[in-house]
Amino acid sequence: MSDMIDRYLESLRLALRDADPATVRDALADAEEHLRSAIESAAGQSSGASEEELAAMVVEEYGTPAEVAQAYRTIEQHTAPAFAGQGRPGSGSAARRFFGILGEPRAYAALLYCLFSLVTGIVYFTWAVTGLSLSAGFAVMIFGIPFFGLFLLSVRGLALVEGRIIEALSGVRMPRRPIFERRDAGAWRRFVALVGDRRTWLSIAYLVLQMPLGILYFTLTVTFFAVSASFILRPVLEYWFGLPFMQFGVTTYWTPTWFMPVIMVIGLLLLIITMHLAKMAVRLHARYAKFMLVR
Amino acid sequence: MQLQDVEAAARKFEREIKSGTAALVLLGVISSARQPMYGYQITRIIDERAHAGDEPGPRFKQGALYPVLRSLERSGALESSVEPSVAGPPRRYYSITSAGEEVLGRWTLIWDATRDLVDDILKGNDDV
Repeated sequence: MSDMIDRYLESLRLALRDADPATVRDALADAEEHLRSAIESAAGQSSGASEEELAAMVVEEYGTPAEVAQAYRTIEQHTAPAFAGQGRPGSGSAARRFFGILGEPRAYAALLYCLFSLVTGIVYFTWAVTGLSLSAGFAVMIFGIPFFGLFLLSVRGLALVEGRIIEALSGVRMPRRPIFERRDAGAWRRFVALVGDRRTWLSIAYLVLQMPLGILYFTLTVTFFAVSASFILRPVLEYWFGLPFMQFGVTTYWTPTWFMPVIMVIGLLLLIITMHLAKMAVRLHARYAKFMLVR
Repeated sequence: MQLQDVEAAARKFEREIKSGTAALVLLGVISSARQPMYGYQITRIIDERAHAGDEPGPRFKQGALYPVLRSLERSGALESSVEPSVAGPPRRYYSITSAGEEVLGRWTLIWDATRDLVDDILKGNDDV
């Protein structure tokens, strides 16, 4: 019975595959809630009907996946223009798009990725360089080739993990690929396939390049943040802690009082620009990662 | 006109009428309920009403009502809260907002006027 619901939800998901992810989530939640409630209540009152008959009846009343998908799609088209402000790109005025980023989960996720990529970058770089050097050193030994094979496998694994991270934080889809297309091939054939695959080498290059990129993302994010924060907190820094705006030798520069509100607003704008930049950078990075990791 | 054309035209007309009135029906059901209701209860009430008269009323596909509920909520006519159920997935309970009541009032006026006009024309009343 719950198999039947799962199958129904799966075909509904398929029927809605080109729709907005939020719509798909709504549709699946609605269908599951309804089908389970309906079957539960039908089972309580009817006599004689088998579970399959009940489920078939309930699904018949709810509508086929295609019909239901069509209903959601129609509503989505109708309501989209009226309620376009909910995070749809390219909607609303320029000012609204600019400030709207403060409410966008994706922008925060992008910031998180920029900070996080320093750590993953160092791990990937170390792993890739160590693996390559050890493989080169072991090449003359008997276990050199198995070691190299295992290292390449681990690269594939890391590439998949990185793809998952990017998909989760940027929303760009990273198709999952099986590590081996052919299950029946022997170990040697698999090894040759792995070595001969362009994706393996692109993945290694990605892992190595991830460290400089991670350092760049991290540094830029932290710098922009620090500057924005120092602008926004200018009054606190100057009046409370007595820190000047700038200092050359013994000459100190202080912010004029009338300029305080202006500089705070500039800091706030800079903060928002930082979020836009982070979001843009991660979107570009996701496209590059897609090319390197899954193509 | 072929018979199947008549059938197709009838189905198309019914579909359009239903999609035009679904939001009104849902608001009406939820407004007359004393407490918040979840989707399955709402569809049950509509089904029962459709079977209550001598002639079977229009049958709304239950699955097509949920997206309308969602869109009514997005537009502010309904509000909802998710609560766990004893067995199975959590249920979304809908209730009508004051803006929703206002919308329902206006819609009811429009509906009454439209229905009167259609009835008058179909019955061929002379005193229109």
